[in-house]
Parts: sequence; C-alpha cells; structure tokens
Amino acid sequence: MTKPMVPSDAELLRLTSAGDEQAFTTLYRRHQSFVYRFALLMSGRATIAEEVTQEVFLALLRKAHRYDPALGSLASYLCGAARNHVLRLLERERAYVQFIDCVDEDEAIPLSQLRDGDDPLRNCTRNEAIRMVRQAVLALPPRYREVIVLCDFQELTCAEAAQALACPVGTVNSRLHRGHALLFDKLLKRLRAEGKLEPAGPESRGGRCLV
Amino acid sequence: MNCRDFQMIVLDLARNRPLDSSTRERGLAHIEGCEDCAARLAVERTLLACVRPVVAELMGEEAPAHVEKELLATFRAQRAAAISTRVWSSWRLAAFAAVILLSISVLTLFRKPAISPRPQQEERAVSSGSGSSPGPSATSPNLAALPLANNRTAARQAGKSQKRVHRRAAGNHPDNASDDAETIAVFFRLREGDDLTELESVRLVRVELPGSALREIGVAVDPETAKARFEADVMLGQDGLARAIRFVRWSSNKETTDE
Repeated sequence: MTKPMVPSDAELLRLTSAGDEQAFTTLYRRHQSFVYRFALLMSGRATIAEEVTQEVFLALLRKAHRYDPALGSLASYLCGAARNHVLRLLERERAYVQFIDCVDEDEAIPLSQLRDGDDPLRNCTRNEAIRMVRQAVLALPPRYREVIVLCDFQELTCAEAAQALACPVGTVNSRLHRGHALLFDKLLKRLRAEGKLEPAGPESRGGRCLV
Repeated sequence: MNCRDFQMIVLDLARNRPLDSSTRERGLAHIEGCEDCAARLAVERTLLACVRPVVAELMGEEAPAHVEKELLATFRAQRAAAISTRVWSSWRLAAFAAVILLSISVLTLFRKPAISPRPQQEERAVSSGSGSSPGPSATSPNLAALPLANNRTAARQAGKSQKRVHRRAAGNHPDNASDDAETIAVFFRLREGDDLTELESVRLVRVELPGSALREIGVAVDPETAKARFEADVMLGQDGLARAIRFVRWSSNKETTDE
C-alpha cells in the first residue's frame, strides 16, 4: 500500500494562487503555529501575534509570486515576513510597550564566571520559570531576541535562521553567542530581584561580573 | 581545535545533536583546556534547560480559530473578486466589440445615402419639373443625378460623390486662370424611363448652351438664367442620341475643395 503523497509547500502555494481553498487551508495549518509562536515570543503579546499571523498569510495570499522556492523554504520566508511585521508593530507601539528592563549590553556577565551545572531557575516553580524566561527574552534587544527565538525556541539550525533573517550564518552564530550571555545575565538579575537566587557574593564580583 | 572552531559546534554539543565522532571528541578535548569555551558550553546547557519548559508550553500555542476564519473569508472574497473581474472583463470586451460593430454599421449607413438615395429624390424632382411644377435650378448641383453602373467613368464619378472638383489645366479654358476648378454634377436622364445601364458604350461631349435650352429638358428657368450660358457634358448613346446630361461649373480654387 502506498503512502498518500504530501503536497509540497510550493505545490500548495501554486494551488492557492489558482484559487484552491483547501490548499490554502493546508498551507495555513502547516505553518501558522510557527509564525504565531515566533510573533508571540518576539512581542510577548497575543494580540500582536494574531495580527502578525494574519498579516503574514494575507501577504502570502496577495503576493504569493514573491516567494521564490529557489531562495529558501516557505517557513523561512514566512518567518522573515513575520519578523518584519513584528518589528514594525513594536516600533509603532514602542511608546506603549514597556519591557521588563532595558539592556545595557556592556553589563553582560563574562562567560568565564559561569560554572557548568548552574541552574538559575532551580528555586522556581515551572510556571515561574516559564514566565521568567519569557520576560528575560523580551528584555533582549530585537537582533539578539530574534536569533534566540528562532534557534532556541523554534529549534531552527543557524543556517535556517540565517535564511529567515537574510543574514550570514556567521552573524547568526555571533548574535546567538552574545544573546545567550545576555539572556543568562537577565535571568540571574531577575531571579535575584525576586529573591529566588542568593545575592552574588563579593568573591564573584570581579571586574564587570554581576554574579 | 581552536576556540573559533569550537564556537561552531557548541550549540550542537549542548543540544546533543548528531556530530561527526571525531569532531565531538576534539571539541570535548578542547574544553578540557579552555575555561571560556567550557563556560560557553555550560551556559548553553543551562539555557537549554531553562528554555525547554517554555518550548514545551509553546508547542500547544496556535493562532486563534478566528484568524483562520478571517483569512478564509478574505481568500473567498479575493477569489470572488477575481472571478467577477474576469466576468466583467469579458462583458467589457463584448460591449467594446458591439460598439465597434455599431460604429462600422453607422458609418456604412451614412456613406451609402450619400451615393444612392439622394439622386433618386432628385430624379423625382426633375420628373415633376417636366410637368407644371417648377423644377430645380440648372446651376444647382442638386439637379437630378443618375448613376451609370455600366459606364466605368460615369459610375466612378457618380459613386464617389455627387459633386466632383477637377483641377483645370492651365490654358485649358480661355476665361479662367490656372487655379480655377471645375465642379460637375452627376448625370441625369434626358428621357424618362430610359435605362442607361443597358448601354454598351457611351460618348461624352462637352458643350456650351444657353440657359434657355434647359427649358427643353424640363428644367424651370427664370429669365436671368435663360440669358446665361452653361457648360455641360452630354452623354451620347451608340445611336448618337443624347441620353443624359451633367452640368459643369467653374469656380475659384479658394472656394472649392480638391479631392
């Protein structure tokens, strides 16, 4: 017995352009959660995530010809479109959106101060941990946030993320490195602020180290 | 392996992604002697542990159903609009074609009456002129006309227009300058009931005649016109009898139009 063939994204997109509603529905259901989650993690707001998801697929409906399968996967294309929408919306609402704190990149913790096996969330409940991580991610500058969301939360490879963000793989790697250090620092700061982590001892405050 | 190479594989090591065994061994050997890279791996593993619950929670996150409904509504509206545009385009095309056909028909109708219906009316006028009622003026271009289908020269003249203008050659007429033009009317029959289309060949003779002579062919002439002289082309049949006549008028080039 032969397995039913799963139509490719390009085929579904072609059928969608020809007016096939079922093809569009399949395409939407295949990619909507990815786009929605990306927008949600990037913005921290469900309303923005909904708006972005709608805008991304509307753009796909109206300008399907803009997608070139030779340049990458449809997921990457949609992700790139979602990223542009999110950044535009965040820029528009910058006056109203207040992130947890502003990041001074120079305050990042030196990696040499970290020890293997450190678990900053060990004293938190699961829900608290989830909230803290999401808030810490939202506190990152967008260029770091987007690579972390794509590589860590959406589990793309660096190459796929590079395709979605239209930048070199090396850039993704370096941003990921820097972003992780910032994220770790944010987490520790927030945990200390909420009393979930012991304040850093004087022995650990060498140089710019915050731990 | 140096630190730069290690940075390339640190995420794969932290996530336990499949790696070439020798690369993995070399990477692990590198962190034995490099504190920074070891710390980096530690950060990656710690962050991964922190991120996992969030990823698990987000796995169930999807766009609300109303987003799909709204998108499908938009999709249907767009498709309907595309269909109506196509239908509208075909209607517009059909209407355009109809307008073109109508224009052609109107043009054809307007061109034809300029040739045939008018001579018939004028023929009737000449016929009635032979009776008691006054006929048209001899100098009028609206004198009864007769299209001669079998005579190529006359038919061409009659077919193109009722009024033709010829450039007069210099010195061809003693009274006029070289830029004078000849205006001719179409032929009209001299005998009622005469079918000129049956003539196999005809001869045209240019004559000058007094206005009073027009009375003989049934045209009502006033005293002034009777004294004037006219030029006319007389069509002679094979038997030498005059069958039709057309009048010629000379006018200044400024007043006439050339074909």
